[in-house]
Amino acid sequence: MIEKITPVRKSILANIRIQRFTPSEHKSAYFDNFKVTVETGMTVLEALRLIKNTQDSSLTFRAFCRSKICGSCAVRVNGKPVLACSTQLMPILEDFKKDSVSIQPLKNMPVLRDLVVDIEPVIEKLSKMHPYLMENRERIPETLEQESIMSKQEHSRFDYITDCILCGSCYSACSAASADPNYAGPLTLGKAYRFSADVRDSFQGERMQAAVDQGLWSCAQCRKCINVCPKDTRPAVSIQRMRKMSIDDGIHDTAGSRRAKAYTGDVAKYGQVNKPMLPVIVNGPKGWAAVEAADNYLEKHGIEPTRQVCTLGGQSSTQKIYDKVKELEAKGENKT
Amino acid sequence: MLTYDILIVGSGGAGLYAALESRMEEDLQVGVLTKVYPTRSHTGAAQGGVNAALANLDPTDTWQDHWFDTVKGSDYLADQDAAEIMTREAPMVVREMEHWGCPFSRTDEGKIAQRPFGGASKPRACFSADKVGHVMLHTLYEQGIRHGVNFLNEWQVLSLMHDGQRCQGVTAINTQTGRVHTIQAKAVILATGGHGRIYWTRTSNALGNTGDGTAIAFRAGLPIKDMEFIQFHPTGLRRTGILVSEGARGEGGFLLNGLGERFMSRYAPEKMELGPRDLVSRSCETEVREGRAGPEGEVFLDLTHLGRERILERLPQIRELCIEFEGVDPIEEPIPIKPTAHYSMGGIHTDLNGQTSIEGIYAAGEAGCVSVHGANRLGGNSLLDILIFGRRAGKHALEYARNNSFTPVDTGQEEADTQMIASMMEGESGASIADIRRAMGNLMAEKVGVYRNGKDLESAVSELADLQEQFKTVRIQDKTKAFNTELVSALELKNMLDLAEVVAVGALERKESRGAHTREDHPERDDGNWLAHTMATLGDDGRPKLDFSPVTITEFEPKARTY
Amino acid sequence: MSETIRYGFYSGCCFQGADARFFDILRDVFAKVDVELDLIEDAVCCGSGVIEERSELTSLAVNAKNMAHAEQMGLPLYTPCSTCYNVISNAQKRMKEDPAVHAQVNEILAEQGLEYKGTCKLTHTLWVFAQDVGLEKLKERVTNPLTGLRVASYYGCHTRNPADIQGYESADNPTSLEDILEVLGVQIVEYDTKDDCCGYHLAWPNNDLNMKMTSNVLEGAHTKDVDLMVTSCPLCFKSMDGTQAKALAQTGKNFQLPVLFLPELVGLACGMTSEDMMLKYHGVPVNLRL
Ligand SMILES: Cc1cc2nc3c(=O)[nH]c(=O)nc-3n(C[C@H](O)[C@H](O)[C@H](O)COP(=O)(O)OP(=O)(O)OC[C@H]3O[C@@H](n4cnc5c(N)ncnc54)[C@H](O)[C@@H]3O)c2cc1C
Ligand code: SF4
Ligand code: SF4
Ligand code: FES
Repeated sequence: MIEKITPVRKSILANIRIQRFTPSEHKSAYFDNFKVTVETGMTVLEALRLIKNTQDSSLTFRAFCRSKICGSCAVRVNGKPVLACSTQLMPILEDFKKDSVSIQPLKNMPVLRDLVVDIEPVIEKLSKMHPYLMENRERIPETLEQESIMSKQEHSRFDYITDCILCGSCYSACSAASADPNYAGPLTLGKAYRFSADVRDSFQGERMQAAVDQGLWSCAQCRKCINVCPKDTRPAVSIQRMRKMSIDDGIHDTAGSRRAKAYTGDVAKYGQVNKPMLPVIVNGPKGWAAVEAADNYLEKHGIEPTRQVCTLGGQSSTQKIYDKVKELEAKGENKT
Repeated sequence: MLTYDILIVGSGGAGLYAALESRMEEDLQVGVLTKVYPTRSHTGAAQGGVNAALANLDPTDTWQDHWFDTVKGSDYLADQDAAEIMTREAPMVVREMEHWGCPFSRTDEGKIAQRPFGGASKPRACFSADKVGHVMLHTLYEQGIRHGVNFLNEWQVLSLMHDGQRCQGVTAINTQTGRVHTIQAKAVILATGGHGRIYWTRTSNALGNTGDGTAIAFRAGLPIKDMEFIQFHPTGLRRTGILVSEGARGEGGFLLNGLGERFMSRYAPEKMELGPRDLVSRSCETEVREGRAGPEGEVFLDLTHLGRERILERLPQIRELCIEFEGVDPIEEPIPIKPTAHYSMGGIHTDLNGQTSIEGIYAAGEAGCVSVHGANRLGGNSLLDILIFGRRAGKHALEYARNNSFTPVDTGQEEADTQMIASMMEGESGASIADIRRAMGNLMAEKVGVYRNGKDLESAVSELADLQEQFKTVRIQDKTKAFNTELVSALELKNMLDLAEVVAVGALERKESRGAHTREDHPERDDGNWLAHTMATLGDDGRPKLDFSPVTITEFEPKARTY
Repeated sequence: MSETIRYGFYSGCCFQGADARFFDILRDVFAKVDVELDLIEDAVCCGSGVIEERSELTSLAVNAKNMAHAEQMGLPLYTPCSTCYNVISNAQKRMKEDPAVHAQVNEILAEQGLEYKGTCKLTHTLWVFAQDVGLEKLKERVTNPLTGLRVASYYGCHTRNPADIQGYESADNPTSLEDILEVLGVQIVEYDTKDDCCGYHLAWPNNDLNMKMTSNVLEGAHTKDVDLMVTSCPLCFKSMDGTQAKALAQTGKNFQLPVLFLPELVGLACGMTSEDMMLKYHGVPVNLRL
């Protein structure tokens, strides 16, 4: 049965609110409103281009590949960092049940003009992370007659991170980066892990030191970077794995590594984290101040201070899990 | 005045490889100047693979097979000595990339994985899932950081300078400040990529693939070669031209016209949708020309009959692409598509070392034309081309820069360019950039597209001349100097208009059909008259002047190209 | 006709010390809307994502155990803690996506006679009120609408990120908290730092940064002149209330912003008193003229 094809296309007259700012001309950022007929299929980038071409040619934004691979076009739409080129407008209008949508530059980077931010500071942080492979001569042949042999499994340990297009969305969403200008940020730590996890690399120690120095333990694991990454590279997961590496290599004794050991140990012991004593366990004698502060808090509120950890019911059976995992790991059978 | 021993313009695969090659030695000042941040270059968009006869999948594969496939694919217009170099050195550069960390997918034995590709007799496209260009580009950038390559990001080259014999340098505008600079260099390597954007929205190429380097070289008097050859891909999304890969047809997708007919039965009753790219492109185009298109001049790639499960399981990326870029879910409805300009075979004429007719000026990658692709590029050969000839250009430029001194240069060009920009910024606009661009794209797609004929081409040439006149009245409305993207667009449009004319004139002149160039009025390949490269130079009258030069044939006599 | 809704109650580690009061508060408030909690007796700490920094497999197994117990009880797993929700949900997703890992985890659990089938449903305070109880019933039970209160709503991160850990509502534009607050009668005030993270999980590795992040969020709400902030996450509550004084002092700010844990505000709106809600134990005094 042959039928003529008539595509269904919706359209809505929407108000696009765009944050504007030219440093040489304005004291602070402001919003401009543009009316645009949004139709099925229209991306945020198409809307921006339409506005530039027909309403205000000075509207400034970046875009290049318009196909989700170059990372130029990240902006915040209704607060969330997205790639303008791969984000459809209609579903957003429907999700927010409004006929208006706001477009702003990424956060945590200085605005150069309108929606364009200066990514140089992030690139600099990245550069300090040794984001390149240093040949491990046990794996990489000396001559170009052969490639290195790397199993599919070894390759899959880091391959997902090589999808990163350096768009900066994760950096924009990261509250740790907002609060600490020295924090390297999700994408840079993700890259650091990508190389450290590569069997062809020989640079583990120095790169790990760079990661520790630039905030490996400053990530709050809020997981927003996972949510906003258009390429699903899961930076927060890489950070967890990089942390594991730093603990495993035994060189980097940090508050974070002590916390990880404490949590892991406590759960086996009490079925529960020993929260009352955690500050001391993690920070040593310095931690007593925090324990005492907690005592004072309780006393002030008329509660008897206790440094007792309350155990959870599963306490008795947890050790079995640990033992079994150890056994599997010893046999090299861990499937995660 | 900025000075570099070697200035590389463009940071795609070709530019970065050249930079690494010349920077490794560390005794020279090497700079890379680029319109966008390096990792944003269009090389990142390549998905399929890079060819090298590693024989990891098929042990019988040899570089000689690859050589022959390349020459045949080019419809015998490739220079066979160049194709020989490229295919012979291919395994080495691919392995070098791998040694630098490029995460190619692996075979069961842990070697670089390879897959079959159109026009290749053996499976030799090395790949990394669907992101091979992206990972290659990032690997080169990473090694660039390691070796301290100097980047000037978001700078746009305006003019190329030479004294008639030797390179002097370039002028370029720093987009972030809006200032024009003279950059003196012993050697300049133009690696500015292709010019697919002369088809404006009807292309798979990035917004900035506007052929800047090629146009600038042309205006500086250098010959540009084989410009009429533009490869089309049959299935670009209607709105954006973004590619829907062959996988969708491989999995059993139907091509339908606006009436809902499975039209390939008319053109390739046996192979149907799986016919070669150029045939499918032409078939789609014929449906549109004969009035059987959908409401917006599109045809359709229909997957609905495959069912939800199969689409989710086998084609999840294609589905995501259609939803994100076209707002269409292929589970629910057919995907609207149009043929889309994909690759520019032509470019700046160079020798085997990437050197142009001027000493110290080099070109590499899609901007250059050695020629290895002739009338039609094989999938997976252009990523290879950029590595091989990026490297060779880098190497040669290094030697050249070591052995030569700077050629004196004054600031005349800088002043002229500054003046040109200033006058574009003054006053109210006549024509609009967007209108001219759209008109250019439509006219190129309709008259200098998949099908060409003398009559249409003649009218295209004259319409393009009109557009160039209109362009003279364009004035930039945005008066701010810093980050003026309207100005960037205007400068790009000027380049595109110049190149579009060369493409149209070349297509009009070449009275045969070869590779990607299909003349309805001259349907046969004509080796007697046209086994020759088209060389275009800027004539005294400001119009392109065409010459022809012989094709180098060393091993394979031209034969009919059948698959 | 009010049917009782029951959940397997996974308490997590957050209600220790002064916060132990929340066990009772939570039960009492839920009783108001016919919700009963059956404690999952053999539960263990979810590891807060930190165990993953030693062993991902251990973390998965521990949380599969938690879910397996809920499955045995035949009840959905409810946890008041957003981080527990996040970690358990993440484990669920990981095992769903990778059957080999799922099988290995079950091999580990088999030693204690447990199996995680993958049928366990997870939920959190937000969706208990907004979806299971439902806004209509909640509205019926509101006897003391909190009209006129200017409230900053704060989800925190772990019920929102990443998007695919929950199937209850849009992750980019969640409304459950605001929907509940609206039913309670308060006036919801928008503020800039609503999507930012309080940094609770940095408390020990990097306390200064935790304080800065908490201070940033608080300031965003404070500048909008709100009466209080309400959060659905008990850990955010700890940052915002328990460490507020320290956070503001360290960042040179000087104000007080009362913070309530969502169940407390629901309790108050349903006619319970400040004493019932034990508000005197808050770090920042709560003096609501109700
Ligand atoms: C969608 C798509 C898929 C493809 N898939 C494949 C494939 O699978 N296999 C394959 O072999 N090939 C493929 N190709 C072709 C291949 O990707 C390109 O030919 C190749 O990447 C070109 O590389 P390049 O280095 O020459 O140029 P580009 O990567 O385009 O880089 C050009 C550089 O020049 C700079 N530049 C341009 N103008 C200026 C200026 N005025 N001033 C300063 N800098 C400037 C840009 O900033 C950029 O850095 C594909 C192409 C497309 C469009
Ligand atoms: S998880 Fe860590 S890196 Fe990611 S956004 Fe949160 S704090 Fe930043
Ligand atoms: S990790 Fe994701 S969000 Fe962050 S820069 Fe890379 S692609 Fe963008
Ligand atoms: S324009 Fe390249 S990612 Fe959007």
